[in-house]
Amino acid sequence: MNGREVFRLFMLIVLVLIIQYTVGLDLRIAGAHPDLMLLLPIAAGVVGGPEIGAATGFAAGIATDLLLPTPFGLSALVYSMVGFAVGYVMDAGASRREGFWWLTPLIALAASGAAVMLYAVLGAVLGQEQMVKVDLAAVVTVVAVVNAVLSPLACRMMGWALDRPVGSRRRSRRRLMARRLDSVR
Amino acid sequence: MPRPRRSRRTWVTIAILVLISITIITLDERAGTHHITSGLKSFANDVFSPVRSGVNAVVDPIGNFFAGAVNYRGLQEQNNQLRATIGRLEEQQSGANYTQREQQQIDELQHLPFLPGISKVTAGVTSYQLSNFDADIQIDLGTSRGVTTGMPVVGNGGLVGVVTQSYRNSAIVTLVTDGQSKVGVVFGPATCTTCWGISQGQGPGQQMNVNLVQPNTALSKGEIMYTNGGQGGALPPGIPVAKVASYHQVSGESQISIHVTPTANLSELAYVDVLLWEPSA
Repeated sequence: MNGREVFRLFMLIVLVLIIQYTVGLDLRIAGAHPDLMLLLPIAAGVVGGPEIGAATGFAAGIATDLLLPTPFGLSALVYSMVGFAVGYVMDAGASRREGFWWLTPLIALAASGAAVMLYAVLGAVLGQEQMVKVDLAAVVTVVAVVNAVLSPLACRMMGWALDRPVGSRRRSRRRLMARRLDSVR
Repeated sequence: MPRPRRSRRTWVTIAILVLISITIITLDERAGTHHITSGLKSFANDVFSPVRSGVNAVVDPIGNFFAGAVNYRGLQEQNNQLRATIGRLEEQQSGANYTQREQQQIDELQHLPFLPGISKVTAGVTSYQLSNFDADIQIDLGTSRGVTTGMPVVGNGGLVGVVTQSYRNSAIVTLVTDGQSKVGVVFGPATCTTCWGISQGQGPGQQMNVNLVQPNTALSKGEIMYTNGGQGGALPPGIPVAKVASYHQVSGESQISIHVTPTANLSELAYVDVLLWEPSA
């Protein structure tokens, strides 16, 4: 990652942080609100792979921890693990995922659900027993579904931040390259 | 076959990040180093508070406009209900003046601290339930206005919670419904020696439990429970905490199973009062 990409990523984290802790807190479904910060490591893992996913997760987690009363470092731990896992899975299936547009939302759904549960369990281990007393099913459902729906947009934004075109842009660029090659021949 | 170099570097990266995270959590949990992380949080909250206020000032009117347009009939009904409630309260107020005077005389005679004697500051609620896992609110007053950790917060009909984190211009209040919240309560007539217990939150939006109430203690549905002023004087006595929603007694058990709901309406908090109460040493 070069300096420009790091700066863009920083700006993206700040933007999502502001949205999450202003508008995001007011969006409440069944007593739970979406976790848009969790979407960042997932999108980074999809677009940039496990290393960038983990690093983005750590940065987004620290930013989140600064504003939450929960143990400091807990979000950083969970988000970096999620970013890494998503990146690893996406890398492993890189050759077979072309054309499967639903793969990113599906990964976001599964990763978000797993992250919420991991967060609650680790929190309880650290003495925050109330974390497993909440309506976990509602929290998992809201966070996972919202993140699955927003994941294509998040991947586009992450693609811009990391200077890596995603989805249709990548395909159209390939088509353009193929046409140019044809014309040269 | 040796693993590719990139794969090894990837695993090293995640291992380092996990180790750093665990180190930060340890620093936060240890009493000796907690001030480092709380200082960072305080700084971040002080920087973020004006940003949040600014964005909310822009976004809230737009949201309110749409909410009002969609829910106009509901708002009108709510308005009518509020007018009726104000009328009832005014009636009660005029009737209660005599009782209040008597109560005040008794309090003075017994040298009991009572709520009107404690100075308080009114704070606006800026955020509700910051995390999906905690029942808490953020208020717009902090250490610069004398709000410090441990101070009780009241409003909307009773005890709202206790200040658990205090920054320069904001503070986090853990609500009585939070799973970590425990409050010593008393109820019933003053002569009752077993009418006490400990209320414990069960998470946001869920009923609270009251533990340690001995079997055969006289109890009724709708009975109000008040802070007992115990726990080393952590909370002043006499603040309404919760109302009995249901209870049942099983023979052979060491306590009555009691479910209570907070007397304060915690779902609609716009302003709260922070009692500038210093817990006695």
